[in-house]
Amino acid sequence: MAVASAPAPTVSGGPSLPARRARSRRRTPVFDWMALPAVIVLAGVIGYPIVRAVQLSFTNSNLLSAGAAKSVGLQNYKTLFTNDPVFWQALEHTAVYTFVSVAAAALIGLALALATENLGGAWRILRTLMLTPWGVPVIVVAFLFYYMFQDRGGVVNQALTSLGIIHTPILWLGTGKWAMIAVIIANVWSTTPFFLLMFTAALASVPNEVIEAARVDRAGPMAMLTRIKLPYLRNAAVLGSLLMVIQNFNNFPLIYSMTKGGPVYSTTTLVIYVYQLAFDQFHLGFASAVGVIWLIILLVFAGLFIRLMRTNPA
Amino acid sequence: MTAVAAPVRLAGPGRLRRWRPGRAAVVALILVGIAVALAPVYWMLATSLKTPFAATSLTPSYFPHHLSMSNYNELLVKGVVPFKTYLANSVLTSVIASVVAVAISALAGYSFSRSRWRLRGPTSVAVLATQMLPLVVFVGPLYLLLLDAHLLNTYTGLVIGYTSFAIPFGSWLMKGFFDSVPVELEEAARVDGYGRLSILFRVVIPTVIPGLLTTGVFVFINSWNNLLYPLTLITNNSHQTLPPGLLDSFVGEFNTDWGGMMAAAVLTTIPLAVAFFAVQRYMVRGMTAGALAGT
Repeated sequence: MAVASAPAPTVSGGPSLPARRARSRRRTPVFDWMALPAVIVLAGVIGYPIVRAVQLSFTNSNLLSAGAAKSVGLQNYKTLFTNDPVFWQALEHTAVYTFVSVAAAALIGLALALATENLGGAWRILRTLMLTPWGVPVIVVAFLFYYMFQDRGGVVNQALTSLGIIHTPILWLGTGKWAMIAVIIANVWSTTPFFLLMFTAALASVPNEVIEAARVDRAGPMAMLTRIKLPYLRNAAVLGSLLMVIQNFNNFPLIYSMTKGGPVYSTTTLVIYVYQLAFDQFHLGFASAVGVIWLIILLVFAGLFIRLMRTNPA
Repeated sequence: MTAVAAPVRLAGPGRLRRWRPGRAAVVALILVGIAVALAPVYWMLATSLKTPFAATSLTPSYFPHHLSMSNYNELLVKGVVPFKTYLANSVLTSVIASVVAVAISALAGYSFSRSRWRLRGPTSVAVLATQMLPLVVFVGPLYLLLLDAHLLNTYTGLVIGYTSFAIPFGSWLMKGFFDSVPVELEEAARVDGYGRLSILFRVVIPTVIPGLLTTGVFVFINSWNNLLYPLTLITNNSHQTLPPGLLDSFVGEFNTDWGGMMAAAVLTTIPLAVAFFAVQRYMVRGMTAGALAGT
């Protein structure tokens, strides 16, 4: 199983500190039954499907006639890499969607965290208000922005027109470029609170002594920010971004509800593409091949993330 | 400690008062941030309270002139869209998934936190890795698996799907909570002759009830948001949940029932928002433990 073996080498360092402290005088068994239910469920509903997905990726399996699948060797992968422009487009859209969203949300979250840093007492309600989008279900975010970005009757076009910024309505969800921008805006709106929380927690952990020492040295606001605070935020930024990169890679509901991957394929990310291949076109074998490639890319990020988690637990 | 903290509290506002342009920028940023965060939510509420006629307007007014509950009435009483069925199914499957996932995760989390076994390291990393995998890669094989087991179009199938993706993250979250319980507490119970399970249930669990609730709420939120599983594993409207149900009812080229759509959005948000703000304190911890299910 690829999942278990790929990141495993990082573990060879042995048990972590609190665990070592808890080591009792008993012999160490190979396995503990308390973890068994979890492992059984994961093996059955995640482990088995991974194996099955890999196996399906070498067949021409079709969802409508699942029994009649024939092995086709590496054909799916060959088609994928040489003869499937949509796959490459999807890869590009995934990268654009993910990195633009994460960068924008992180920067806005950082700015808001710095702006609200010195709020005390009742004024903290202002920060809580900014966290509002976090409590809105993803599916509702999708509906809400779907409505607001309607070219006729959508409030975004209406507001832009009455402010004199545009004169003809923008076809937000009807043109490729604007559709990508619209889903990214919706995504940034929904994920910025995460970064705001992350950075607020990190700012609170900057030792008072350090701030005080810098102030005694007459550090100006800019120096205070770039020399003192930002270095302390590095870990939070890396951890949060990586987490959000992984989550955005896998995001299905927002894009699917707003555009279904369209118009044409302009907002089709890999996740949407795998879904369309398997459940709209029923090419389960080919979809699995895309999924396997996808899995490999993701494991690299997962490995990075786990390494960070282990060296510097939040 | 107080000697250090006190001057900072005094110095903060003082510094800002001296640096006026900076202060104005900060205030502006906060105001814009709040406006952008709240405007879409306001628009959702305002549209849902308009009369259906006003809500379909091509130039919608920024304020509802006549507050009307007819959109909600349409959803909850008249029922052209089987909203109540979707809602009941969402509540049912999300709650069951939460309970099952919390039970399994608590056992696994306790084991990861306390017991010593040789495969613990590899197992826990494998568990952490699974929560980063995209649901969509599994859903094809899972579909075939449930097809063979005759569990398509059942609540059981859906709960299995939700639970499997909640367990990795639940176990890690619970491990964190168990780590913060002092071992001495259990040593004392062991000396008194308690077995492992009774130590867990009588001694440890009562001290991590906030952890159980947090884990439960996170599982609930992820299940509530899950579009992919019900979309693919449920084709029968009587078993459908809110996300695919509403998508099917309201999103499409010919839909203009914005009032109904926004009323449904409000009703979908309320249970989640309540759950959310209940565990807000643990949010960062929960997220970094990895509320990563790709939904």
